[in-house]
Amino acid sequence: MSDILDIRDLTLAFKGHRGLTEVLHGISLRIAAGERVALVGESGSGKSVTARIILGLLQETGSARVAGQVAFDGRDIMAMHPRDRAALRGTEMSMIFQDPTSSLNPTFTIGRQFAEVMHRRAPRLSRTACNARATEMLEEVSIPDPARVLDAYPFQLSGGMNQRVMIAMALVNHPKLLLADEPGTALDVSVQAQTLRLMHDLVEDHGTAVLFISHNLGVVREFADRVYVIYRGRIVEEGATDAVFHAPGHAYTRALMDAVPRITGVGLPEVPEVSDAFLAPMVRHGSAS
Amino acid sequence: MSLLRINGVSKTFQTAGGPVHAVRDVSLEVAQGECLAVVGESGSGKTTLANMILGILAPSAGEIVFGGTPLTDRRSPAQRRAIQLVQQNPLSALNPKRSVGGSVRLGLDVYGIGTRAERWARVEAALEEVGLPADMRRRGPAALSGGQRQRVGIARALACEPDLVVLDEPTSALDVLVQARVLRLLNDLRRKKGLTYVFITHDLAVVRNVADRVAVFKSGRLEEIGPTERIFSAPEQPYTRALIGAVPVVDDAELKLRNTLAEAP
Amino acid sequence: MIRSLRIIAANPLSLTGLILVLLVVLAAALAPWIAPFPTHNGAIVDFAYANQAPNARNWMGTDLVGRDIFSRILYAYQISLLLGVVVLAIATPIGTVVGLLAGYLGGWAEAVLMRIVDIFLSIPPLVLAIAVMGVLEPTLTNAMIAVTAMWWPWYARLVYSIARSEREEGYVLAAEVIGAPTAHITFREILPNCLPAIITKMTLDMGFVIIIASSLSFLGLGVQPPTPDLGSMVAEGARYLPDSWWLTVFPGLAILLAVFGFNLLGDGLRDVLGVDE
Repeated sequence: MSDILDIRDLTLAFKGHRGLTEVLHGISLRIAAGERVALVGESGSGKSVTARIILGLLQETGSARVAGQVAFDGRDIMAMHPRDRAALRGTEMSMIFQDPTSSLNPTFTIGRQFAEVMHRRAPRLSRTACNARATEMLEEVSIPDPARVLDAYPFQLSGGMNQRVMIAMALVNHPKLLLADEPGTALDVSVQAQTLRLMHDLVEDHGTAVLFISHNLGVVREFADRVYVIYRGRIVEEGATDAVFHAPGHAYTRALMDAVPRITGVGLPEVPEVSDAFLAPMVRHGSAS
Repeated sequence: MSLLRINGVSKTFQTAGGPVHAVRDVSLEVAQGECLAVVGESGSGKTTLANMILGILAPSAGEIVFGGTPLTDRRSPAQRRAIQLVQQNPLSALNPKRSVGGSVRLGLDVYGIGTRAERWARVEAALEEVGLPADMRRRGPAALSGGQRQRVGIARALACEPDLVVLDEPTSALDVLVQARVLRLLNDLRRKKGLTYVFITHDLAVVRNVADRVAVFKSGRLEEIGPTERIFSAPEQPYTRALIGAVPVVDDAELKLRNTLAEAP
Repeated sequence: MIRSLRIIAANPLSLTGLILVLLVVLAAALAPWIAPFPTHNGAIVDFAYANQAPNARNWMGTDLVGRDIFSRILYAYQISLLLGVVVLAIATPIGTVVGLLAGYLGGWAEAVLMRIVDIFLSIPPLVLAIAVMGVLEPTLTNAMIAVTAMWWPWYARLVYSIARSEREEGYVLAAEVIGAPTAHITFREILPNCLPAIITKMTLDMGFVIIIASSLSFLGLGVQPPTPDLGSMVAEGARYLPDSWWLTVFPGLAILLAVFGFNLLGDGLRDVLGVDE
């Protein structure tokens, strides 16, 4: 199967008062069409900036030094004109954020925001066509009364409802890649579980590839086919979700797994201080496709 | 003996859209030295309950009895000192314009603990107790990591020598590895100092490993309360079962437990 | 301090502001020594040199009674700066205390204090000042009172908005749980977080106070002759435009220079102190 995303040896540094600060030390990451891939790491590990590079946002930041190869659907994102990169966003690739309520514009109705998203791909789409398509999408994310929601403003809806709207909006243009940055972290656990299940089923139906960025190992295990573990700007482990969770090979991955409290109540883990072993070479699980 | 007794406590907020019943007729007890987890989703009333225990909010009905004495709206310094708080967001919990030591020292100044000369020594002792270097007291919070800030927040509560500490989601803003260390620290401190915790959280996996008993809240009501062991092996309320069923898990033993609970009637 | 200066120096506009402000302050402070005709700040006449265009003896020309305009501008800066400093030194603390209490306490204190502030803010500033001056004698002291009366509400509103958002911060909750007195929470916890914005506003306002004071004296309501004042100099000279242009142009430029300097410096400070608007 062809890769929808192929990142090779990506480096990122920020220019500051005290010279360059390296954030990514050459990461490589591939996502096949329709594949759900997770990028797991702690805050500051470089997982969110990776998403911003894929979206083509950091390349235009003056202080950022980006190098390496980022190919999206066979096209080189790094060499693209900023205008062409912008054209990809919201059409070929879309994004879901952590806090759904604040990522929707509070001053426009859901229907109008849907229309704006759809006009990015089909500028001449009529109002009725937009509404019909939006209604269809809202039904797909199990929103009971789509007509009412289309006329509503984001603040009139619950967080879980807004999250579903975000998912529907992100998929309405049939993107090839969906970037999900800590989706649902701002929601209650039960709502989060529901929306993730919904998102899982939906991207499967649509054949959308997903890069799922998260710090929550449990959520990753339930959502992703394949996992990359990132630590301080380096990928330390990669493999099929089952393989990584059953036999974590890298010291950092093991520490991360051990640190998660278990509902079986095996007690609080002894967590190693940051150790040199965390910087050991990457572990790759063979069976990964 | 129960250190804290909550007796038929309710809290109603008057809003433009009519009265909101944040906490409805809640009664529970917290024994000396135990860790009671208060669990619930947003809007469950768990934070409102915490604020009433802390004296930030006055109950609309019912009473809160601490150490045998009912707490009134006007608490004595000794009563305030006995109940301290550790907050969720370590970034906002420290004044950016104040040194770490200044933040930890505030309680000592307000309650008049120790002589003025002794207070810096006590601040340094509190910092060391939470695993921070004593000379960190001169630093500003901006230079600290999330985990370090949270430790400062714990040191601030401990410096007041409290009996009861209300922990309001103390680790939910922290990274996994840092969370594990802070949870261990909280456990160790409780043992060493004989502290009593009211541990407010939505994270049931954390609860399972730190709490002696669990109180489950939903829409301001106490749904279920019992020993941690029992709540996780045989939850009585469907809501409790649903909460446990929604926890994202990482290993197969957990998955098995979750599935058994889901299949139970 | 060194770091702040370096940040300001890195931005050409801020640096220009700093240099202009230093020039104005030095000109005012050293007026008695650097003014070519130090006695010309008072009621002196020298008709032999009346109404001279700029020349080697009088770089900016002379006024209708023969006084050196350059010398008078230097002295006028003294008055302008004094007025600015006194006005801000009174208006800022009043506005800050009102804003802090309204913002932190909320409820009745907020309703009453902020309504008073709104009343002051609803009157156009110059009208308010003119009203005050109409009741009082037009003197320097009364000009200060008038300008102060119209200035403090702006600080109240600025500090109020910051205090209101700081009130929700965790460190305020922490101090409340500990039971710290209101005075501690407002002045020792919240106020330090308002100071960067206050200092920035004060710097910007020095320029505006100078303009307002000049406008008042332009209308004849401020500093009275023979004391040199930039506003009244412009007003007097305006009657003889365009022939005796130096009577207006140089005092006008002097006002511009000072206001420009304080504004640029204020913008620079905003970056240094990390104030977001």
